Amino acid sequence: MEKEMTNNITKFQLFFIFIQSQIGVALLSLPHDVQKSAKGDGWLSTLIAGVAVQLMLIIYWQLLRRFPTLIYTEITQKILGVFLGKVLNLLIYLNFILVGGLATILFVKLVKLWLLPLTPSWIISLLILTSCVYLAISDLKIIARFFVLASSLILLLAVTSIFGWFTTKEIQYILPLGSSGLKNIIVGSQNSLLAMLGFEGLLFLFPFIIENKKGVFKTISMANLFITLFYTYFVFITVISFSSNQLAQMREPVLNLLRGMSYNMIDRVDLIFLSIWIVPMATSTISYLYFASKSVGAKKKQYPKVVLLNGLILFLITLIPHDDAIITLFNKYVSYLSYVVVFLIPTLLLILSILLKKNEMSEST
Amino acid sequence: MRKISLMILFIIPILLTGCWDQRLLVNRTLVNGISFDLTKEGKIAASVRALYIKSMGGGQFELFDELVKAERPTVAGLALDLDSKISGEIDASKAHVVIIGEELAKKGIHPFIEFFYRNRDSYISSKIVISKGKGKEILSVEKEKSPIAFVILQLLNSAEADTVIPKKNTFTVWNNILDPGKDMVLPYLERVESNKVEVAGVALFNGDIYTGTTLSKEKSGILLSMMNQLGKSNRMALILNPKSKRQSISFSIRDLRRDLEVKVDKDDQITCKIDLNMDIEVLSFPQDFKEPLNIEKLNQDLSDELTKQARGITSTLLKANCDALGIGQRISSFHHGLWKKIDWDKEYKNVEFVPKVNVNIIKTGNVF
Repeated sequence: MEKEMTNNITKFQLFFIFIQSQIGVALLSLPHDVQKSAKGDGWLSTLIAGVAVQLMLIIYWQLLRRFPTLIYTEITQKILGVFLGKVLNLLIYLNFILVGGLATILFVKLVKLWLLPLTPSWIISLLILTSCVYLAISDLKIIARFFVLASSLILLLAVTSIFGWFTTKEIQYILPLGSSGLKNIIVGSQNSLLAMLGFEGLLFLFPFIIENKKGVFKTISMANLFITLFYTYFVFITVISFSSNQLAQMREPVLNLLRGMSYNMIDRVDLIFLSIWIVPMATSTISYLYFASKSVGAKKKQYPKVVLLNGLILFLITLIPHDDAIITLFNKYVSYLSYVVVFLIPTLLLILSILLKKNEMSEST
Repeated sequence: MRKISLMILFIIPILLTGCWDQRLLVNRTLVNGISFDLTKEGKIAASVRALYIKSMGGGQFELFDELVKAERPTVAGLALDLDSKISGEIDASKAHVVIIGEELAKKGIHPFIEFFYRNRDSYISSKIVISKGKGKEILSVEKEKSPIAFVILQLLNSAEADTVIPKKNTFTVWNNILDPGKDMVLPYLERVESNKVEVAGVALFNGDIYTGTTLSKEKSGILLSMMNQLGKSNRMALILNPKSKRQSISFSIRDLRRDLEVKVDKDDQITCKIDLNMDIEVLSFPQDFKEPLNIEKLNQDLSDELTKQARGITSTLLKANCDALGIGQRISSFHHGLWKKIDWDKEYKNVEFVPKVNVNIIKTGNVF
C-alpha cells in the first residue's frame, strides 16, 4: 500500500475534480450534438443523460464500498484473477488514453479554428500537453488544488454566458415539449456522452478520499447535479436562441451565441470566452492523463516516467490529420470503448462481486 | 539542471508568440462597407469601401476611404478579386454595413450572408440593408469628413432607436432565414438629393427572398409595434379625420402591450388576433384653441385610425407572403399536428388577421 497522507483529497476537492474532468471541450458543441436527433428537446436529453450518470454513480458506489482501498484496475484483478484482470486493464488503459487523445485533438482543433488559424497544430498540442504533463506528474493533492482554483473560471464563464441572453430569444423553439419523441431524446442524450465522460474518475480517486466511508455519495451526486444543470443551462440558452436548422449548421453553438454580441466597450465576446475556456479544456486532458497513468499500475518511483510516456502517446495521437471524417470515426469508436469501460465493466464487476461474495477482505486469488 | 530545463521550457513559448498568428494593422486594409448588386448580364457586382489609416505623426490619424469594385458570376471568388485590387490584406472584420441591391435581393440573400457567418474573422454584427436601386449608388455617396459607411451606420442606429426599422444584423438575419416559422423585414435605404441617404422604410421578405413589397417609414413603426419591437424612442405622426379638418397629431409610445392570439377552428382556418395597447404621450396636437382637449374622443379617434392602418399592414403582409409576425412559429408550437400537415408557405395566405389598437393618452406634455 503506497497511499500516504500527502496524496489524500477532501470531499470538497473531489467535487471540483469531478467538475473539471467532465466539463471541457465538448460543452461548446454539445447543443449541436444533442439537437441532431432531439431538436428543440435537446435540453431534456442532457437532463436524461444526467439521470443515467446518476444511476452509474450508484453502481460505482456499491462497487467501491466493497473495495474501499483499491482502484479500478486493482478491483478487476481482485475479482477476475490476475490474467483476465490484466486483459481488462489493457482495455481500460486504452479507453483513457484514447478519450484523452480525442479531447486533446478537439481542443487543438478548436484553438486552431477560432484563435490561432496559422499556427501549426503540433505546436499548439505540444504547448498544451507540456503543461498538462507538468501537472499530471504531481501528487493528486496538487492536481486537486489546481482544479479547485480553476473552478473559479467556470463561475466566471457562467457569468459571461449572461451576455448570451441579450440576443433575441424565442421560447417557442422548445415548444411543444417532447415533440421529437422519447426515442430521439434518448438518442440525443447518447450523443452527449463525450461531454458527460469524466465521472468514471471516481473509480481511481475513491481510495484517496479522506474518510471515504461517509458522505462521498452525496458529494458526487451534488457534482453530477451541478454538471447536469450547467449543461442543461447552456443547451437551453442555445436552443431558444437558434432554430434547429441553424443549430444543425453550427460547430460550436455556444461560441456563436456570444459572437452575435457587440458593444461599444466589448466586442467578440466569443474569443474572450474561448481564451478563458482553455483552462477547463486543459483540466480534462490532465484528468485523463492522470487516470491513464494510474491504470498502468506502475510503482510510485516509475510513475513520472509513465506520465511522460503517456503524454508522448497523447502527442502522437494529436498528430493524426484533423479531418472531420477521421475525427468523427475516431469519436465513434472511442464512444463504443467508453460504453464498455465506463458502463459495462463496472456493472459486471459489481454483479460478480455480489455473486462471488467478494470484497476487500477476501483472499486474493 | 532541472531548474534550467524548466527555465528553457518557459522561455521558448514566449519566443513563439507572433511567429504565425500575428496580424499587423499596417499590412491590412479595413473594409467598412460592402454592397452587392446584380448587373444587367446577371453577374454579381460587389463594391467595398476600403479604409486607409495614415499616421500624421503626433498621434493624429487621417482617414480616407476608396471605392473598389469587382464582378463575378457568383459570390465565390469576389473576395479574391477585391483583395487583388486593394493594397494590403483585405480585412472584413469591421464591415459595419452590408448593402444588397433590390434586384439581387429578389433572388435570395442567403449566399451573401453565408460568407460572413462562415468566416471566422468577419464581423457578425454588420447591419444588413436593402437598397432601392443599386446598392453601389448608396455606397458611392461621397461625404467630406466621415466615411460613408459610418454615416449609414449612424443613420441606421438612430432609425432603430426611433422604431422605424428593426434591429437586424448578420446574426439575426441568419437566424431568420433558417427559421421556417418566421420571416423578416429589413431596412430599406434610398439615395436622395444626389448625395444623401435616407431610410425609406422596411423591405418585406419571404425566407431569404425579397418580395418586392416595402412599407413606408410611417407604417413600419406600426408593424414593429405589432412585432413587439419597440425602440428607445418612438415618434409617430398621424392625420386624423382627413375629411373634415385635417387635424394632425404626433405622439410617442411610452408603453406597449401586445397580445397575439392564434386560433385554429375545426376547418383548420387560422385566425390571428392582435391586440395592441399603447400608452402614448402627445408631442404636438395643433388643436382648435377654443375647445378644451377631449382626451376620450382623441383616444377613440387615434385607436380607430391606427386599427385601420394596422389592418392595411396585415393585408400587405399577406399579399407579400411575409410572415413577419411569426404566426408559423405559433402554429408549430401550439398546433404541432396542423403544422406538420400543412405547407406553411402556401397556407399563410389564408390566415385571417384581426388587429385592434387601443390608444390611451397618459401624458400631454407641458400643456393640457
